[in-house]
Amino acid sequence: MTGAKPATATSLRGTAITARVGVALGVAITICFVTGFISHFIQHPQPWFYWPTRPVWLYQLTQGLHVISGIAAIPLLVVKLWSVYPKLFERPIIGGLTRQLERASILVLVASMLFQLSTGIMNTAKWYGFKFFFTTNHYAMAYVVAGAVLVHIGVKLPIIRRALGEPLQDIPTGELAPGPTRRTVLNGTWLAVGVATVLTAGQTVPWLRRVSLLAPRSGDGPQGLPVNRTALAAGVLRAAGSPDYRLTVTNGPVVKAFTVAELAAMPQITHQLPIACVEGWSATADWTGVPLSKIIEVVGGSVDSDVRMISLEPPGPYSRTVLPARHARDAQTLIALKVNGQTLHPDHGYPARLIAPSRPGVLQTKWLTRIEVVG
Amino acid sequence: MTAVRGLLIALGLAVGAYGAVLLLDNPTQVIIRIGVWAAVGVLLHDAVFAPACLALGFAARRILPRSWWSPVLVATLCTIVLVLLAIPVYNKPGLQPDNASVLDRDYHWGFWISVAIVWGAALLYLLGSRLLPVRQNDVVQQQRAGHVEAQPPSA
Repeated sequence: MTGAKPATATSLRGTAITARVGVALGVAITICFVTGFISHFIQHPQPWFYWPTRPVWLYQLTQGLHVISGIAAIPLLVVKLWSVYPKLFERPIIGGLTRQLERASILVLVASMLFQLSTGIMNTAKWYGFKFFFTTNHYAMAYVVAGAVLVHIGVKLPIIRRALGEPLQDIPTGELAPGPTRRTVLNGTWLAVGVATVLTAGQTVPWLRRVSLLAPRSGDGPQGLPVNRTALAAGVLRAAGSPDYRLTVTNGPVVKAFTVAELAAMPQITHQLPIACVEGWSATADWTGVPLSKIIEVVGGSVDSDVRMISLEPPGPYSRTVLPARHARDAQTLIALKVNGQTLHPDHGYPARLIAPSRPGVLQTKWLTRIEVVG
Repeated sequence: MTAVRGLLIALGLAVGAYGAVLLLDNPTQVIIRIGVWAAVGVLLHDAVFAPACLALGFAARRILPRSWWSPVLVATLCTIVLVLLAIPVYNKPGLQPDNASVLDRDYHWGFWISVAIVWGAALLYLLGSRLLPVRQNDVVQQQRAGHVEAQPPSA
């Protein structure tokens, strides 16, 4: 960066690159933060949080973007850290209090970013090599990243503005054979982002499916649909296949139990809905079943009531969920008995599962045993 | 601008502190694991990955002809990204015996074919730039201010 040296890797580095890659990384982090925030509050609803039922693919879009932008951030972070690495050894190593605070904020920023990207990509591959609970800590660390990014932008704002206003400043070398320039580095970075995206995004973008060679899921599975939790893992195989199975629906003192045959005898409807997992994969299927609103009607439930969905699965974080009234009364929300024209595979929730528009897959409760109208 | 900067820093500190409070809600043992995970990430980058890249760049600049540097640089960056993406899937550490729909690709094949495509493209770029004439702009851009061509003979 000091000027007159030939175009070594050192002179390829520079604020011009750091700032430009930094802007792209900032965009990726912002998308990750906003979409992650949305996903968190769909799963942990608060009175102030509103999540629509349309378009039906809205959650598929936001969560797909979450994982795609997170993966895109990997090459961006690699290049950004490369571009500033010599600063780590700049003198004075210790310096004054301001310098110490700035260095500390960058340490927090780098550590929290590496934490988020590493745990995030491991979660998409269901690899829990870290021995702490993923969701709550990935959520908490997101605020640390966001805070560190804001502090970083606050500290660097004048430098960022200056760097973005200046050209890339390729240093002439006087050599005939063209060597790499900062333009090369920048274009190479965008190319690497493209490569990373193409190789993984197929788990949620159907037309990329065949080229996403490193995606944790090909998009296939029983009945043409991937599975996150199998009937075996959930320990429901026997109860789901039992002739004693009933779907119990309650509204206060009103209780009604349905056999599978009784559910199948009700008017059936088919909707094309995506199932979109928090881990970034999604797949669209034709679901056939009874609209939830019709079942709620049988027990005289109000259209303004939330509805609790309880699985045959023994109590655990996702064995029961509360479906907000907005989704419960939606015409496309089904208690599905079939997918793609076939009776649900046990891994897809046989005998009956919830499928609602614009919801995370983890809340589309499988192996339903009980539906309670709440309040 | 000072006000904007002050606001960003204050907001950042508040948001970051909220995240820290959420993290500190864990049992001490879990907090230590999270801290170790984050610290190991930084150490792996600063003390292993970055020096290795420096050494690789240093060696490559001395071994490879200058015209190779650009494609090799970009292909190396892409390969690093491929390796990072392959780590969680290559040997399928998260494989679940009961669930055939997760990690259901041949990632060894997928990784090596991707690496081959990246380096194949770099090779094509190199051959292409050899066969095509050097563009005049490239030559001019690489010239220093002191480079003056001979004056045409005066008639």
